[in-house]
Amino acid sequence: MAPHPLLFTSCALVALGVYGILTRRNAIGILLAIELILNAASLNFILFGRWVGGVDGQAFAIFVIALAACEAAVGLAIIMGLYRTAKTVLADEVNLLKG
Amino acid sequence: MSPMLAWIPGLPLAAFAVLILVGRRLGRASAWVSVAALASSAFLTLQLTPHVLDGQRLAVSWRWLSATDPAWFLGLAVDRLSWVMLVLVTVIGTLITIYSIGYMQDDARFSRFFAYLSLFCAAMLGLVMANHFVLLYACWELVGLCSYLLISFWFEKPEAARAGRKAFLTTRVGDTGLLIGILALWVTAGQLHLGRLEEIRTFFVLRDQTWWLTIISTLIFLGAVGKSAQIPLHVWLPDAMEGPTPVSALIHAATMVAAGVYLVARTLPLFTPESLRLVLWIGLATHLFAGTVALTMTDIKRVLAYSTISQLGLMMTALGLGAASSAMFHLSTHAFFKALLFMAAGSVIHATHRQDLRELGGLGRHLPWTRALFLIAALSMGGFPLLSGFWSKDAILLSAREHAPWLMWTLLGGAAVTAGYIFRLYLRCFHGSPVASGCGTPHDSPAVMILPMAALGLGAAFAGFAGPGVFHVHGGLDVPMLISSSVALSIGVTLAFAVGLKRRVLVPAVLRPLGTKLYRLAANKYYVDEAYQRWIIGPFLDATAWLSRFDRRIIDGAVDAAGLGGWRIGQWKERFDRVVIDGIVNGIALVTRSIGHVVRRAQTGVIHHYLFWVVAASVMLMLWIRAVSA
Repeated sequence: MAPHPLLFTSCALVALGVYGILTRRNAIGILLAIELILNAASLNFILFGRWVGGVDGQAFAIFVIALAACEAAVGLAIIMGLYRTAKTVLADEVNLLKG
Repeated sequence: MSPMLAWIPGLPLAAFAVLILVGRRLGRASAWVSVAALASSAFLTLQLTPHVLDGQRLAVSWRWLSATDPAWFLGLAVDRLSWVMLVLVTVIGTLITIYSIGYMQDDARFSRFFAYLSLFCAAMLGLVMANHFVLLYACWELVGLCSYLLISFWFEKPEAARAGRKAFLTTRVGDTGLLIGILALWVTAGQLHLGRLEEIRTFFVLRDQTWWLTIISTLIFLGAVGKSAQIPLHVWLPDAMEGPTPVSALIHAATMVAAGVYLVARTLPLFTPESLRLVLWIGLATHLFAGTVALTMTDIKRVLAYSTISQLGLMMTALGLGAASSAMFHLSTHAFFKALLFMAAGSVIHATHRQDLRELGGLGRHLPWTRALFLIAALSMGGFPLLSGFWSKDAILLSAREHAPWLMWTLLGGAAVTAGYIFRLYLRCFHGSPVASGCGTPHDSPAVMILPMAALGLGAAFAGFAGPGVFHVHGGLDVPMLISSSVALSIGVTLAFAVGLKRRVLVPAVLRPLGTKLYRLAANKYYVDEAYQRWIIGPFLDATAWLSRFDRRIIDGAVDAAGLGGWRIGQWKERFDRVVIDGIVNGIALVTRSIGHVVRRAQTGVIHHYLFWVVAASVMLMLWIRAVSA
């Protein structure tokens, strides 16, 4: 069976996200890249859900969106805190967790 | 009326508490606190008179030990017997306390003296009012403590400190007997109430166990022997004269030493014929023994001390005859005239600062009051007709005559000895040639000392008339007895005059070596102290020295060896601990630490490194899944 063309889109989204994670210096950029990966996952849920039948895939996609919103809120709060203590939002300049 | 009973010992006790706490601030006034408390007690006691003479028994009691079944009730009770003692202690105590104000006026521990005196009176009052053996024993010991504190009141003098210790230890022998007796009574009869002695007696008689009564009463009598200075525990009383003279008068003549007589009189229902015979013999031996010693003593207070022992022996003799009322009668009259004798002696000592008969003489002119009062007391003690001592002594002699004629003749001989030593003392103090003394002309004591003496003089003269009313002894004169006791008195006085004062030698030449030997024997107090030193104290000290060596060598050695062994084992354990246990713990820590040292390198803190590892791991995982599923 041939893969659905939209699967290539989600592959591209994941690749873009990973690339963004690894290359972005700004913490907000990393957060955005994570959003891309999550959206790729949501797309896959919907595609495979349609193929299998039923609404499970779509329900999971809704969950992922809600989860992403939470993650964005927590992530942004962390970034605010980080800015207050370290006076920067550039992730590679912060190594407070160095062992 | 009964609840007021607690005030009688309570007031002197309160005076003691006040004086011991703030006595130093009160200064001279502290004496009057004591006098006021005692006088109030005396007043309360005298208020009881009509009730007691009616034959009532006033009592108050309270629950003391409720854990036992039945609960113990301690309390105070006054009957005729204890009422007599109460009157003696409070009245004579008050007078002697007043006298002490003059006698102790220059003493540095003035208020302390009156505090102790008050405590003594409280304890003595508690002792005679106690209705239970336990309370009686507590007061008994408290009285002994006060005696110790007051004998060694001038503890700067080594003799006084030693005398206090001797008194305490010697009476302790007797007290232990009393304690064992009380315990035995509790174990066997289970009843310690002093009001139920007849029940206890019946209990033993019904079970045919009167030998228990003999044992218990002998043990109780042992306590009385210690307190009342009977043979063989009499040695402390002469030494107790190191204390201040008012103490000798109150405690060691009038009241405390009489506690033994009181105890035997109180517990007389427990005494069997066997133990009464013991009481009789001990009393008689003490009476004669101490009387002959008193003839030879040269220290005023020691003469009086041996005289006290002798008179206590006479009371014990009366108790041994079962004549408790005569004994208590003599106890009361004796308390008056002996306290007066001591106070007069104290007055002499106060005036001349001497108490050796060889340095005294012809004081009659300088101390007219003291002399007159001393004479009254001496006549009363010698048994001059119609004075108090005459009545009480005759009561005892009459009891003795009923018992056995030989006993009466022996006691008459004792009476002659009594008259002999007391008039020897009187004549050598107040008559004869004045001895040049270095302290100028002696003068009579101040009124604060003379007035109490005069009051006691009245008692010494007239207390005998209370005999029939209070003590139910034979009233009226027994003419043969009057004549024979007067003859005994005259013989004693004549000999005292001829031998004691004029130094005539009446012993025929043949008997002179024997006489000298007997004199020396009596003058050395029959070597009782030396015998104790040699046969009891010496071996005891040797035994303790031996035990001390045993202790040092064997016991200490064992303890030291055990300690050393423990120390060695401890050292080994310490080494094991250090090398093995610590090694394991430290080794684990070291391994963990070095692993951590390597692993921490990965923890750079840079997010990109972590994310790189996440991505790389995901890729590897994916490739691995493919490889597996293919």
